Amino acid sequence: MVSPLYIIAAGLGGAFLLGLIPDKWRNTAYGITLLALAAMAWIAGEWLYAFAMQGTASVDVFTAGTQPPFAINFRIGLAEATLVLLTTMVGLHAALHMKDTLFKQGRRAMAVLLIFIMALCGIIFTRDLFNLFVFMELTVIATAGLVLLSADSRALGAGLKYLIVSQVMSMLLLIGIIFLYHATGSLNIDDMAAAQVNLLQGGAMAFFLVFIAILAELKPFPANGWGLDIYESAHPAFAAIFSTATGGAILYAADKLLQIGGDAWLPAASTVGIVTFIAANILALVQNNDRRLLGYSSVAQIGLLLTVVGQRDLLGNAYYYIAGGLLLAHAVSKAGLFWLSGLVAKRELADWAVLRSKPVMLFAFATLLALLIGLPPFPGFYAKWDLAHHLAADGRLWLLGLILFGTLVEAAYLFRWFGYVIKREAPGEQGLCWQSGKADVVFSAVIVAWLLAYLWGYLSGHGNLLHAIPLLFALAFLPLDWLPARIKNVLAIGGLLTWFYLNYPDYDPLKMIFAVVMLPGGALLLLASFQTGKRRIGFYPSAMLMFAGLALLINAQTTFDFFAAWEFLTVGSYFLILRGKHSEPHALSYLVFSLGGAFLIMAGFALAAQGTPDLPLAALSQVAAEYAPWVFAMLAIGFLTKTAAVGLHIWLPGAHAEAETDVSPMVSGILLKAGLFGLFMLLITMGKQQLYGVELTYVMLWIGALSALIGNLMAIFQEDAKRLLAYSSIGQMGYAVFGLALMNQLGWIMALMFVINHYIYKSMLFLSVGGVAKRTGTRLMYRMGGLITLMPLSFVAVLVGIIAMSGVPPLSGYGGRWVFYNAIMSSEYRLPMVILFLAGPIAFLYLFRLIHTIFLGQMKDELRKVKEAPFWIVLPQMIFVTALIGFALLPGLALRKVDAYISQFFAGDGGLHWAGLTITSPFGYWSPVQIMIVIAVIFVTLFLWLLFVNRKAQKVKQFNIVFAAERPYRPETSHFAWNFFAPYRKALGFMAVPLFERFWGAVTELLHSTADISRRVYTGNGQTYAIHLLGFVIIVYVLWMGGMKP
Amino acid sequence: MDWIAMATGFILILMGLYGALTNRNILRMIVSFTVANTGVNLVLVAVGYMHGRTAPILDQAVPVADAARRIIDPVPQALVLTAIVIGLGITAMMLTYAYKLYEEKGTLDISKFRDLKW
Repeated sequence: MVSPLYIIAAGLGGAFLLGLIPDKWRNTAYGITLLALAAMAWIAGEWLYAFAMQGTASVDVFTAGTQPPFAINFRIGLAEATLVLLTTMVGLHAALHMKDTLFKQGRRAMAVLLIFIMALCGIIFTRDLFNLFVFMELTVIATAGLVLLSADSRALGAGLKYLIVSQVMSMLLLIGIIFLYHATGSLNIDDMAAAQVNLLQGGAMAFFLVFIAILAELKPFPANGWGLDIYESAHPAFAAIFSTATGGAILYAADKLLQIGGDAWLPAASTVGIVTFIAANILALVQNNDRRLLGYSSVAQIGLLLTVVGQRDLLGNAYYYIAGGLLLAHAVSKAGLFWLSGLVAKRELADWAVLRSKPVMLFAFATLLALLIGLPPFPGFYAKWDLAHHLAADGRLWLLGLILFGTLVEAAYLFRWFGYVIKREAPGEQGLCWQSGKADVVFSAVIVAWLLAYLWGYLSGHGNLLHAIPLLFALAFLPLDWLPARIKNVLAIGGLLTWFYLNYPDYDPLKMIFAVVMLPGGALLLLASFQTGKRRIGFYPSAMLMFAGLALLINAQTTFDFFAAWEFLTVGSYFLILRGKHSEPHALSYLVFSLGGAFLIMAGFALAAQGTPDLPLAALSQVAAEYAPWVFAMLAIGFLTKTAAVGLHIWLPGAHAEAETDVSPMVSGILLKAGLFGLFMLLITMGKQQLYGVELTYVMLWIGALSALIGNLMAIFQEDAKRLLAYSSIGQMGYAVFGLALMNQLGWIMALMFVINHYIYKSMLFLSVGGVAKRTGTRLMYRMGGLITLMPLSFVAVLVGIIAMSGVPPLSGYGGRWVFYNAIMSSEYRLPMVILFLAGPIAFLYLFRLIHTIFLGQMKDELRKVKEAPFWIVLPQMIFVTALIGFALLPGLALRKVDAYISQFFAGDGGLHWAGLTITSPFGYWSPVQIMIVIAVIFVTLFLWLLFVNRKAQKVKQFNIVFAAERPYRPETSHFAWNFFAPYRKALGFMAVPLFERFWGAVTELLHSTADISRRVYTGNGQTYAIHLLGFVIIVYVLWMGGMKP
Repeated sequence: MDWIAMATGFILILMGLYGALTNRNILRMIVSFTVANTGVNLVLVAVGYMHGRTAPILDQAVPVADAARRIIDPVPQALVLTAIVIGLGITAMMLTYAYKLYEEKGTLDISKFRDLKW
């Protein structure tokens, strides 16, 4: 194999050659540059192949014919080869990306680029401390030169600031090096490592100086203003190198240095890293300039990596897998995003909306964001999962919590950006400076991203997520997106049904109920999607990603599978919700809450595993008593976020109400059940847990009861029909959580009935209200009225739906109530029970409002020509009506087996007795068919009597009324449907005050204003930045050296 | 002797840093950094100096066999030479920047170059 010295030689040689050729030979110069970079990358690739595939041991390369320490030596191993390949590839792509700039600037700029990449490779290879210094100074000079490639004149100032700060750093480094040499008698890193500097006189101080100088190069908070200025103003192709290759090389230098300092210095690295990670992410919240935002994110990612470097003592063999996954994810995504920013003409985040004109670029943007955040199936996901497990097993929970918090903040601003791109007004044609060469460079990053996803899945001990059929099926819709929507719809329905058909023999009765709701249930809802013509770009990949998550969730056997599925369904549903016209903020709030919940779930699983790499879900029952309640609490809160339990519910109304007509039923009727599925799984395995003497299921009982009350109460005051339904979901899920938390067999049956019922009637109601909204052009109920004659089928659906939901006989809601009353009879919790009873009649109020204000009463003049909802929206409703009546008549069909199945968890707790069509409990019996007949007889009798007494009634025209001398300023407010329940609002309004919205709003506001105030430390003055650096050095010195003294 | 060099070196470093952080004129800052760099080089040499030894030149006066006992460690001196060269490069770079910045805005006041911040 070619010696790695030739990598350095190729860079240097290329640069010298460029100095020799005439200035006008631009093509030749550019050719030399590309050739040199390609040769460097080729050599690195060859070595990487040898290390990775052939298991070659790492090699030392000597120079000057002498052994170290008398000459410099290089080392190349797996890590070095990977980093050098990354560096040279980023350099090569950057050269391709800035072809026009390089041609304009000529051979000198190209030579500087070669020197820069060569110096970075040198930093990675060298085992000599002084040589490290030389290479670092080379990068400083080259950086200062390449910053000037930017068209932005402000880059000049940024470059000078960088030079000022790097002067201070190089002084620290040089003094540190000479004293380290003095203490150890060698400049060789391995000799120094063997000398145990901390024990030598002055050794610790000397090491501190070197270490802090390298740390400062990693742009730690707050000594990083210079870095941010460079990111903002430099040429994006250079910013990509600066963020990824420089970052990677210096991190590796820090890693080498820590071998000298030893484990005693690891916590210092972690502390500096995590502070930087959190601070940079919070400060990024208020950025509106794309490149500066990417700069903050780069700083944060490098901080995270430094944190991981500081944890190498406990990561053991997993260190390179975790650090490598995070580093490559950061490098590829950040380089790709910086390159992508070169295609966007303007610098505000919302200007990226122009990407919408090229769906391929939108896909690239989404891939790079997912890679950066660490969503499955990308390497960051595997790395964070493993990292969390190692940290939790070792009790470093604080650090884990901070990392997850920082990641959540990062996801929040990155997805907010994604929301801008999808939803904001695009700046028009001139917003895009499209060059196919640059786009190709971006796309190569996207390809590498997917290759890395595959590689990390292959290397992980958990099985490759990219082998999961449902995921592949969802991804297959991306290349098929050019097909008409109807064809894709057929494929999607076929896929869901096929997967269900293939898997149903393996489901136990409990999973079967969820699977039926999620898979064939999803297929049924997709019938409504036939309504949409054209192509509906983006809908099917998102929807199928969500369904893939749901399908995988039911099949999950280990915590890893479960969590990966959870993330898939979260991200898929986020994309789906984001499609609504005004859903940008709501989709974001949904995502932030969901990811927050997901991170709690991950932390809970990690804590439960205690180092076991692949914990089966069933093993949750054997978690040590010491951790069990904590695991339970974390998982429960995570799942309750998904069911929108009170306090964590504020995302739901907007997300469900603003989604598209056929999406609302999916995310409400189906997706909410994922949370219930998680809770079932949790309670089956972990059962009752006590934390500080508090029964956690009892707390859940209260949460369920309060959710039911608050959800229903909020629902009655809504003017927007879809919002009303959304709030009602909070209440309904409250009932289900309550049933689960009762921890008896009937309670669970009740929860399952809610799973089925809520799916049917909420899907149906969202569809019919969606259909009405489509026809009338509004969702506000006071703008509707009297639609019964115009939209009879929708009316029937709503009527049946509200009868079922309100729990009056004869429909299936009544069955739910019946089981529920039986369940609470056998339970001793009185107070939450009373609250739940109270919630019942409140539900009746909003249901009454729904049917009354939309379908009954006065018809609006402008709505006289409204037609029935479209066929494909009505069809599933009619199927649901049939299903509701069927389920009401024969509940045993669905529940009998599962009742028997559940009884194994509550031995002798008294279940239901199923005989023929009658169900008997310890407290009474329920015969659905009899009830149906009785109700029908009563109804028909009353109806006939009504017809009889009304035969003489006088009919009046609709406008045969006067406003009693009053002139209404807002005519719609004089409509009876406006503020329908005003008296109740007066009486109960205090309970409907949006306290939780205000609380979470205040938290968000606090974070943003903190960021806005703190970022003012970056005054823009180069001298201030130098003072920051000195301050940083002194703070770390005081905190660290103060604590190190024996 | 060597402690005088060492002390002078550190004093120069502190003077240089003070100058660089208090002077707003970019040229003055560059000069201050040069002073500080000289200080660093002096410290480097001072650390490498050993009492009663001779220059690391192997000739009749210092036979190879005795070299290890009689000569001063040549490494720090080699480092200083390299550091001087690098320092020159960086100073040249900074001067270029100063020139360019003056062309751009007609001032050398560092506090005037604050377009990028926050």
